[in-house]
Amino acid sequence: MPFLPQRVSLKLKMFGGTMAVVLLVSAVIAILARWILVTSLNRELEQRGVAIGQSIAERASGFILDKDRPNLVSLVFDAAQLGERKVLVSYIFISDNDGRILANTFIRPFPADLRGINPLPENKDYSIDLVDFDRSQAIDIAVPVREGIYTLGAVHVGLSKSHIDSLVGKLRTTFLGFITAVTVVMFLIVLRLSNAVARPLSRLTQAADAISRGSLDAPEAMLGLSDDAIKHCQAYADTDLPCWHFDQNRGEGEPTSQAASRTCRECRFYRKEGGGDEVAQLAESFSNMIWSIRLYRRRLRESEEKYRSLFDSNPDPVFVVEAATGRILDANSQAEAVYGYGRKELVGRGLAELEPDADGGVAAYLADRDAPERVLFPKLRHVRKDGEPLYVNVHACRIAYRARDAVIVSATDITELVEKDAQLIQASKMKTLGEMSAGIAHELNQPLNAIKMGSDYLKMVAETGGLPSPVALAAVTGQVSEQVDRAAAIIGHLRDFGRKSEPKLEYVDINEPIKGVFTIIGHELALQGIEVVLRLAAVAPIKAHANRLEQVFFNLVVNARDAMTGISCPAERPRRLTIVSESRDGLVDVSVADTGCGIPEAARRKIFEPFFTTKQTGQGMGLGLAITYGIVRDYGGEIEVESAPEKGSVFRLTFPVARDRGERGP
Amino acid sequence: MRTILVIDDERPTLQMFELYLGAYGYKTLTAASGEEGLAVFDAQTPPIVLTDIKMPGMDGLQVLEAIKARRPETEVIVITGHGDTDLALAALGLRATDFIDKPIRRETLEAALGRANGRLDMAEAAGSGGDVAAACEETVGVIHIRGSLCGESEPYLTKAFRELDDAVGVLFDFTPNASINGAGLDVLASVAETCRASGRPAAVYGLAENFVRILDRLGITDKAPRFTDRGEALAYLAKTTS
Repeated sequence: MPFLPQRVSLKLKMFGGTMAVVLLVSAVIAILARWILVTSLNRELEQRGVAIGQSIAERASGFILDKDRPNLVSLVFDAAQLGERKVLVSYIFISDNDGRILANTFIRPFPADLRGINPLPENKDYSIDLVDFDRSQAIDIAVPVREGIYTLGAVHVGLSKSHIDSLVGKLRTTFLGFITAVTVVMFLIVLRLSNAVARPLSRLTQAADAISRGSLDAPEAMLGLSDDAIKHCQAYADTDLPCWHFDQNRGEGEPTSQAASRTCRECRFYRKEGGGDEVAQLAESFSNMIWSIRLYRRRLRESEEKYRSLFDSNPDPVFVVEAATGRILDANSQAEAVYGYGRKELVGRGLAELEPDADGGVAAYLADRDAPERVLFPKLRHVRKDGEPLYVNVHACRIAYRARDAVIVSATDITELVEKDAQLIQASKMKTLGEMSAGIAHELNQPLNAIKMGSDYLKMVAETGGLPSPVALAAVTGQVSEQVDRAAAIIGHLRDFGRKSEPKLEYVDINEPIKGVFTIIGHELALQGIEVVLRLAAVAPIKAHANRLEQVFFNLVVNARDAMTGISCPAERPRRLTIVSESRDGLVDVSVADTGCGIPEAARRKIFEPFFTTKQTGQGMGLGLAITYGIVRDYGGEIEVESAPEKGSVFRLTFPVARDRGERGP
Repeated sequence: MRTILVIDDERPTLQMFELYLGAYGYKTLTAASGEEGLAVFDAQTPPIVLTDIKMPGMDGLQVLEAIKARRPETEVIVITGHGDTDLALAALGLRATDFIDKPIRRETLEAALGRANGRLDMAEAAGSGGDVAAACEETVGVIHIRGSLCGESEPYLTKAFRELDDAVGVLFDFTPNASINGAGLDVLASVAETCRASGRPAAVYGLAENFVRILDRLGITDKAPRFTDRGEALAYLAKTTS
């Protein structure tokens, strides 16, 4: 109904609408009734007046002809005083055709007002007219007095207008009283009805509002229901027990045991049949719904608390990072402890700030929409608030967090492990340096020898008082300079090799560490009759540590040497060490092949294990290849071995090419 | 002057040798490997050969063996890495005349070449043999050793030793250009042991500085101390016996 404002309450609509209809119907009935009743009453009275007039006219004709006025007067008096007529009939008079009054019922002089009133038209049986006389009104009914075809005069009967009005008034009062009574009754009924509908509805509304505001307490009280059923329902008090009536979708993965699948024979709570009209049923349903919502909200809160406690008690730092912006939405207390930030400082901070070496970390994962759901980033370098670096293994996992795409980032602090690793590698390098010392001494002795001889030669010439020939002088000085450079290069190389690697990866041309190995033990290999073939074609750089890679190749080369010079190896076998490096589709491959005695099948699977060695006790710790393996894996590389007895072994190393060289520079 | 063949895989070293020996007036041949050295030796037959031991391919000891097999009287001086006593011993066992350590010191090289030349001179003048002679100086028996003390010298040494039966101590008196090889060292060790067993002190004089390490190594200096002064050595022997 567009002309009714929307905010008019249902109660008012029902009440007002019903009352309007009742009143309208009453009014129509009243008007109709009044019209019918008053009209018929008037007509009845007039007919009665006409009948009185006619009866008088019939009897009066004789008296008029006889001119017997006393009888005529008595006649009109008798007629006027008969029974109840004296109330109704105000006057009666008889007039002749000339208008002279022959008889009347007035006991006082005949009112002049009545003379000549209500003349009878020709050929009419009666005539009715309202007349005023003596400050009162009357309905004058004129009836002709006929004798044969002659009209002798007229009988006028005056019906008292006030009497008729009082009759009509009584009738009206009665009728209006009745209508009013009906209306009042209807009013009360409608009021009650509309209240019965509207009050539960508004209660439901209030309850719904309360739920919206988060208040779920006592739905029964809220809805005005009795709450005795609650005390008997186990599921209500114990949230671990589901209500089997409601909870139809529980139990994916839950045991459908007897206990879990039982159903209350008669639910004391969920009692739809409990009665009441539709509105009451709606209220009950609503109450059940609130109960159910409360149960699930409680369960949700418990679950949230459980996971919150898991989140907070996690020994590793855990972050929730918004996928779109890379900002931290939440962090646990361990994250504060490990990274040195307060939680408030962490929230809203970009995760990128924690990992300055952004290549390939979580930042890249966030940006890559095609990445798998869960990924592990090993050995990422992160930075604490105070600028100290730390090393972490990062698990990243996509989730939805408060309706946003987010990533759970769990970082395991492995700084100590990385440091231990570095120490182990360093120790193994030192051991290698020790093993190389004979070779180093030899390598250093060569230039020193040449320098010594050259200078001795000059000294000798000087002692004899002569001058060396320009050619000899040039040769000696040239050689001295060259050999000093050579010695310095060897020492520099050793220093680089022995240097502790910086935590940050460098861009390394893989051919450099390979060549580096041979600057130190190349001569020794040559002395042992090992032919070294280097085909170094790799051009792409990789991200690694040059001196650790040298350690890797040193281990491989020394192993190859031992495989070719061992006692079990016949001396007549060709001794050839071939190292090939090449770049291909984003990878750098290096193979180190020897013609040694090969690795037995049984040992091949174990060679990368720590402390596994085929050498005699005291000859090796069995850590060389294990460390080699660790180093290669650290740079994202792979190492595998192919070997056949009597055919030699091939170690194949594969490293990913450093990708972002262009933008970051070496 | 004599011709010297130098075999070393280090080109700079060869170059320096060439200048160095040239300054002494030697005619110098060089070879960068054992095989090349042997070829040069076969072609030129130099009386003195200097060879590095550690070389790729044919190493110094093989070269030494081959040269001694072709021409035993060749004076072969091996060049060892610093302090390679084992290699030095092995070389002496293969009858190398002498050995010098790297880096090559001028005095050592001069001394070694001097001894080699001395022995060559002696051999040219007197032929071989008769390198060992016994004499008595007061109560001390002195065994003069010229040239090379080697396996073949043993009968002479034993004979000389017998002649000195009544001496109270024995001095092994090496001439400045005398050399000793592996077998000679064995002989020396056994004679020194015999001396000790018979209660007579023994001493060594005059062996080049280089050999001291070897003597130490073989424990000969324990039985027969080495002296650089002949008087001291005689005084030691006299004092110990008195």
